[in-house]
Amino acid sequence: MRPGAPAGIRGGGHGFPVRGTAPEPVTSGSGPCPEMEKSLHATLNSAVTLRYVDDDPGAAPGRPPVLLLHGFGSTFELNWVRTGWTAALAAEGLRTIGPDLRGHGSSGKPRQDDAYLPGVFVADLVLLLDELGVERADVVGYSMGSRLAWEFALTRPERVRRAALGGFGPRNAFAGTDLDDLESDDSPFGRLYRAVAELPGNDLAALAACARGQAARPFTEEPAPRSTPLLFVAGEEDEIADGVERLARVSGAAGALRIARRDHRTAVTAGAFKKAVLEFLADEAPISSTA
Amino acid sequence: MTMAQHTLELPDLGEGLIEATVLEWLVEPGAGVERNQPLVEVETTKSAVEIPSPCAGAVARLHAAEGDVVRVGEALVTFDVAQDAGIVGTVPAQERKPTRRVRLKPPEE
Repeated sequence: MRPGAPAGIRGGGHGFPVRGTAPEPVTSGSGPCPEMEKSLHATLNSAVTLRYVDDDPGAAPGRPPVLLLHGFGSTFELNWVRTGWTAALAAEGLRTIGPDLRGHGSSGKPRQDDAYLPGVFVADLVLLLDELGVERADVVGYSMGSRLAWEFALTRPERVRRAALGGFGPRNAFAGTDLDDLESDDSPFGRLYRAVAELPGNDLAALAACARGQAARPFTEEPAPRSTPLLFVAGEEDEIADGVERLARVSGAAGALRIARRDHRTAVTAGAFKKAVLEFLADEAPISSTA
Repeated sequence: MTMAQHTLELPDLGEGLIEATVLEWLVEPGAGVERNQPLVEVETTKSAVEIPSPCAGAVARLHAAEGDVVRVGEALVTFDVAQDAGIVGTVPAQERKPTRRVRLKPPEE
């Protein structure tokens, strides 16, 4: 922590509000309040271009970087920066790596369904960690990002030290959804699709392809990534996470925390969510499978 | 050193939305705050956002209660701030530059 910085709070890399890829500094009123800094991005050009943030305060030696995986229709910025997550992680001195997942934000947006199979996302993450020279990361996901964190830990356990899965449960997110008619589908996922479709910068054809690609590989509780310690966190009123307590038990997870009075949209900013994940990632003790 | 008041208004949340609902205050009147310290969580119809403090000072007044709807541009919180304290000088504007641009060969599919 540099001199002059308040305990537990750090300045860099946390801008608000941030729109698109060229965030403007806040100039709210007049007075002695200085402007916010900008977040900086980098680009990984592969088959599909990936935009990501790699922010390292360099103050947590011995701790792996934290890879942040946002939800469907969201972006790194919306899911992790504006919600206070990057500030909370940076205050711990932790390095954060945050891609805009393919189909999202400033990354490439292919329109073929099979460009969005869970395994393809995992290949992107492996490529990103390889590029950054990161052997093993802690992974924090939200919603679809948690589904991908599970897939990552299951198929590449050597790359995932610990994984915290927010806003996620075992139920089929696409139950009752007509994935070929998302514009008028009235299932919970159809409504989510139309809500995120209105966010600036989203490509509807890419998002629909992403939904179909994810749905093509329905989530299954078995096999579970049992060699990676897992923590589940979800809003108490988050129906998308229904059954997460049971999933935590059968997968040998450290636990399933429910956040009071929060739903799928509002749990992500909750202080209790951040605190639980920070403690889970800091805990070096082996997780008992019977906990 | 003289004191002044600075009021933070609800910023444009960038989603074409004109209002937000206060989810939870993270500070209370009388509390000292540091720049970038989380102040409040708000929710819109599309997302939840944590608003950090734009300055160091003390919380003088919260202008909305939890559950209240605040429109963009309306007062959110008023701070007492030191007018000529070296607030700006204590926080470097840019300390790290994580930007990198790399080109990889397309992966074998």
